[in-house]
Amino acid sequence: MKDLSVHFEGVCKRYAHFSLEGIHLELPTGGIMGFIGANGAGKSTTIRILMGLVHQDAGTVSVLGHSMPEEQAAAKLDIGFVSEDMRLYGEATLAWHMEFLRPIYPRWDEAYATSLLQRFDLRAEQKIKGLSHGQRVKAALLLALARRPRLLVLDEPTTGLDPVARVEVLDELMAVLADEDRTILFSSHNTLDVEQISDQITFIDRGRIIDSDDKEVFLDRWRRLRLVLPPDGVIPRLPGVVEVGGSSRLPVLTTNRFEPAMVSACSDLGATVQSVDTMTLEEIFVANVHSRRERLTA
Amino acid sequence: MNTAMVRRMIWKDWYFQRRAILLALAGGVASLGIIGFGGKTGFYIGLILLITVMILIGATMVMGTLVGERENQTLAFVMSMPISYREYTVAKILGNLLTFVPFWLILVAASLGLILVAPTIHGLFAFTVIMAVEILVNICLMIAVALVTESKGWTISAMIAGNLAINVVGYLVAHIQGVSEGMFGTVITWRPAATVSVAIEFVLMGVLLGGAYFIQSRKRDFL
Repeated sequence: MKDLSVHFEGVCKRYAHFSLEGIHLELPTGGIMGFIGANGAGKSTTIRILMGLVHQDAGTVSVLGHSMPEEQAAAKLDIGFVSEDMRLYGEATLAWHMEFLRPIYPRWDEAYATSLLQRFDLRAEQKIKGLSHGQRVKAALLLALARRPRLLVLDEPTTGLDPVARVEVLDELMAVLADEDRTILFSSHNTLDVEQISDQITFIDRGRIIDSDDKEVFLDRWRRLRLVLPPDGVIPRLPGVVEVGGSSRLPVLTTNRFEPAMVSACSDLGATVQSVDTMTLEEIFVANVHSRRERLTA
Repeated sequence: MNTAMVRRMIWKDWYFQRRAILLALAGGVASLGIIGFGGKTGFYIGLILLITVMILIGATMVMGTLVGERENQTLAFVMSMPISYREYTVAKILGNLLTFVPFWLILVAASLGLILVAPTIHGLFAFTVIMAVEILVNICLMIAVALVTESKGWTISAMIAGNLAINVVGYLVAHIQGVSEGMFGTVITWRPAATVSVAIEFVLMGVLLGGAYFIQSRKRDFL
């Protein structure tokens, strides 16, 4: 039996104009999951359910062995949470925030907090309202990390940052996480952010989980095959083709079940394989979303 | 109930409202000075000022600690901590009451003290007590509305309604037979009508805060 830090089973949440349906999510302890979806796909709702801040209409949620939302207070003792719409108290200093949180978390690590201050290039005496957006995100990360949480939940923490600040935050976050062994759920609509950090990927679209697997498996099994067909040739029927682009003579097939044997299979069927291209996570995500939406409208 | 967490939340709210509390305290002392040394006219002006100061501090606390938490997007930070909805609600109700009530008690005690040392206005004792408790009802109304709606607009509406209600309640109380008799006399009287009036006010406070707690504990979406 897998040791799961997060387990969603058949979770539904319905609003007037949006619904999460049948969410099944498993995040093993020690795993780093990138949770990718377009704006409005349901990432934040899922995370709010995970945090116990929104009650699911159906299904069960277990976080660090606690049933949510009933046991949210106990669960949150071991969770570090940073979200894009979270603000710290502008009138207070970062030192005040650290002082405020210290007695709440038994595992609060003051020495680690001090080292993070230096690493993130922050000054504890500075008021939050005087910090840049990037510094505020780093301050929130510091406050979440110094709790020494067993589970770190990051809900689009890099949204709204300029490119320089985004790279800075991500680099520093990765450096910090490289030293650690903890479970992380990182949500973003930016696949580049997630790709750097995660070992598992889950895609969500329009309130449904559309795919979830190890990052390497995604990158291994998704390919674009550029073919050249003879006149009157037909596109070979290959397994897992989710998208057919290009022209009738020069089709481009996107498959999510690539195997090297496909190349020889194409040749056997009279098609010339011009190239087999690997795909970025962003391309995989977009192709995945498009194919699902097309299936739904078909 | 995680009382340590509730205490921490209350401490936080006090910390952020400390300037408003001190300013209100200064305003309250000034009002008392006017009441004590301003003669008959001063008494009425001071009393109005005192009521205004009390309502202002109540409103500032409610807006700052309840509506402000959502408006400033600090609610996500608060709710990321090991606290449940119910504990959050208890912390907000207690925090506001514990800030307001001692302040209210000091100012009310001082007002009653002034009445006691000025024989010409002894008759106002019962009326003053009832109206002082009415101010508490007003604060409870604001807390309840702010907690349940989390809306600035609704909280301001409750504030306006509460302030208008003070005039109406004042008028009605001044016409209750057991209270109005001897109101402008020189003898302190406390009749059953005054007890009933105060009891009704306390029941109303219980309904407002209990109702807010009940609704909050049944909320399904908190953020």
